[in-house]
Amino acid sequence: MGDTARALIGSPRTRPALLFALALALYLAPFAVGTEYRLFIATQMAAYVLVAIGLNLLNGYGGQVSLGHGALVAIGAYTVALAMVDHQWSFWPAALLAMVAAAAVGAVMALPAFRLSTWYFALITLGFAEVVGGLLTEWRELTHGFAGVVGIPKPVVLGHTLSSFDLYWLALSLNILALVGMANLLRSRFGRALVAVRDNPVAATAAGVSLVRIKMMAFITSAAMAGLAGALFAVQKTVVTPDDFTADFSIFFLLMVVLGGAGRLWGPVVGAVVFFLVPELLTALQSWRMLIYGVALLLLMLYAPHGLVGAIETGWKRLRTRLGLSNIPPAPSLAAARETVQPVAGAALSVRDVEKRFGGVAALAGVSLDVAAGTTHAIVGPNGSGKTTLLNMISGFYPIDSGTILIDGRSVVGMAPHRIARNGVGRTFQTPRMLPQLSVLDNALLGAFPAERQGAAAAALCLPRARREQAASLGGALRYLDFVGLADRAMEPAGELPHGQQRLAEIARALVGRPRLLLLDEPAAGLSLAELDRLGELIAAIGALGTTVVIVEHHLELVANICRSVTVLERGAVLASGTPAEVFSHEEVIAAYMGSHTSVGQAAS
Amino acid sequence: MDLDLLVGALTAGSLYALVAMGFNILYRPTNVFNFAQGDLVMLGAMFGATFITLLGLPWFVGAALAMLAVAALALVEEKIAVAPVLNRSASSHGWVITTLAVSMIFANLVGLGWGPDPIAVRPPAPLSTETFELFGVDISSYQIAVMVITLVLVLGVEAFYGTRSGKAVLAVAEDRDAALLRGINPNRLSSWSFFLGGGVAALTGVLAAPVLYASTGLGPSLLLKGFAAAAVGGIGNNRGALLAGYIIGIVEAVAATLLSPGYQLAATFAVMLAILLIRPHGLFGRAEARAV
Repeated sequence: MGDTARALIGSPRTRPALLFALALALYLAPFAVGTEYRLFIATQMAAYVLVAIGLNLLNGYGGQVSLGHGALVAIGAYTVALAMVDHQWSFWPAALLAMVAAAAVGAVMALPAFRLSTWYFALITLGFAEVVGGLLTEWRELTHGFAGVVGIPKPVVLGHTLSSFDLYWLALSLNILALVGMANLLRSRFGRALVAVRDNPVAATAAGVSLVRIKMMAFITSAAMAGLAGALFAVQKTVVTPDDFTADFSIFFLLMVVLGGAGRLWGPVVGAVVFFLVPELLTALQSWRMLIYGVALLLLMLYAPHGLVGAIETGWKRLRTRLGLSNIPPAPSLAAARETVQPVAGAALSVRDVEKRFGGVAALAGVSLDVAAGTTHAIVGPNGSGKTTLLNMISGFYPIDSGTILIDGRSVVGMAPHRIARNGVGRTFQTPRMLPQLSVLDNALLGAFPAERQGAAAAALCLPRARREQAASLGGALRYLDFVGLADRAMEPAGELPHGQQRLAEIARALVGRPRLLLLDEPAAGLSLAELDRLGELIAAIGALGTTVVIVEHHLELVANICRSVTVLERGAVLASGTPAEVFSHEEVIAAYMGSHTSVGQAAS
Repeated sequence: MDLDLLVGALTAGSLYALVAMGFNILYRPTNVFNFAQGDLVMLGAMFGATFITLLGLPWFVGAALAMLAVAALALVEEKIAVAPVLNRSASSHGWVITTLAVSMIFANLVGLGWGPDPIAVRPPAPLSTETFELFGVDISSYQIAVMVITLVLVLGVEAFYGTRSGKAVLAVAEDRDAALLRGINPNRLSSWSFFLGGGVAALTGVLAAPVLYASTGLGPSLLLKGFAAAAVGGIGNNRGALLAGYIIGIVEAVAATLLSPGYQLAATFAVMLAILLIRPHGLFGRAEARAV
């Protein structure tokens, strides 16, 4: 018995078989239990599921709370209703127009919000929902006012008018397509980038991801899905009125996502089903409904932030552990992963008279340094001397006040940080910026984001071109994880790695982007002695590939071993520069570092 | 444009600025934008109406009790819905949904308790909503009072940020950990800001009640207009919020005369989006420091 259970639960084929059976049952269900009323409810539920799947992409994965998806559904529904009733369009082009309209109107509304903090977006979408709700009654010439649009015909295919059975199958098929497309999209570079935007925008930017573009991609996708759901909503109800789209309507979708499990593929499906079935049981409590929803939303956010699906997942993992099965999936093995890492043409760095003030404090007061292509250079100096600030200037995270920064002769001053990253500048941070919930492999794969060319549609449809690119990136990521010595931990959640290994994983992520200039911010901080040796070898190996490396480091022995040149900063100015031997015998450097006349060599050994 | 309209616009604008100031008082030390703020204002109006109109208490006593009650509710909100989320992860935006949930709870509890009918509230004794002519403009003594009180409150709060305690508040917003090292307890400060933000919200509600009536509908509409004033003025900037409040009041009045009252919100929203598109941090705001 136990063995059978273990075999069933452990088999990789159980899941697809179950899903196939579920889909088949749903397709066949109308023949057994299909009454007009049930089909009506089921089709409406399918429309809601479609909205919720789209909202989950934006909210669950992208972390952007939309309180205006109800309004996007309204735009889709009214577009179809008005096109079909007032202009005698057929359903199919009208549905397409509904998607475009919802996406376009939504994009105009979202553009200012995405440049700002997350909560701006929530409030702007809330305002948007109020405005659209008001216009539905107010703009009578277009929307027919309170009465709404009546007599919306059913869609027609080749002269055959779709019955309520057909409409149900259409809605069900759209749900399945949406789920499959979403699963593909989330597995692609877009899924990782979205999670990065949510959990660690700084890491996303350093990997070359444009935060605004990714959020916009997620929003437009989810708005188009809401528009399509609105189209379904209109033809199955045959009448749309402003009362269908109250202020609470948008909250329902958020509740579905949070209830089912935000950031879980099946969350919105489970959430929508529960949301639909529970009110049927609670009809007696009609006036308490919104209050109950409010309390539910609060309790879920506090005690079950991953919703029902999250809770099931936890239980499932516990069950597998009890059966002696591992919760860490096997690492993919690829022939490409076994190839050796390829050399890189390093970029020369030239910093001239860079100044930066924070308020009244001069963090950098005219710093200049040159790093020849393909060499390893260290920036050392006491705490607060401006080392990290300088790295932040080179990688574009802070704007400079004056001066020039050239990478391979090209100025990067004023360039957005994700653009600088895309131009071949990789970096790590003093505290590793990992995506703790994703695997080490996915963290490394984030570094491949700029190298891939596939669009969101190609990724969602899993086109051969996209698949080839993804395989190539996977090979690269595995190769660099092996290069830093983390191949055997590739599938573990990055948050569970010890600090030192998170550093190595962050370096691997930077390397996957094949940077021509790599900036390392105190990579040795907090490492054990054994890890320190390994780090020294690793940086030497990175240098040997041809990459130019700039390292901010306190550990002078490490610096002396691996760097060809050193710049010493003190209070935002260059105190000395030259080879490690020259610099570390410099009187002022010794004084600045040690505060006494001991030699640096002695102190380091 | 009619000058009489301008009086109404500036009165409404003052109230929006007060809502925005409630947001700002909360936001500055906590970086939390309270989605239930509109409902706190509404609760202030409802408590004020109950104490003053229904129970017949003197205006000042009723207003003080309403402020105390709402401030206490805001404190409860902070303890239940905000602190747990921030303690789990200081950078998470989970509070967007939890404060929204609190807003739903407040709004529906008030709906169940007080019912949907608006309650009329009379202004305190010598003041009146009867208009008289001043320099050729129709204006009431209560409108003048609302505008003056708003101006005094905004300048007073801004002056507070110049003091030692005020600077401590701002320091926490800049760097929670560093403030902690200097003996400022961010958790206590967060509780205090909710308490004060709740008090300001209640005062706004009590002041708004004679003009806008006390009803559950106040919450969502003041949330959005207060946000618009805060965003256009620059988040955290109360003087900016005051000017932005006036701008929004005027935009509303113009939209109502030129188009129809139904287009007020749409016009306000369009103006706000246009301003944020050109100046993402508002007319008087500055970009937040990046944390790398």
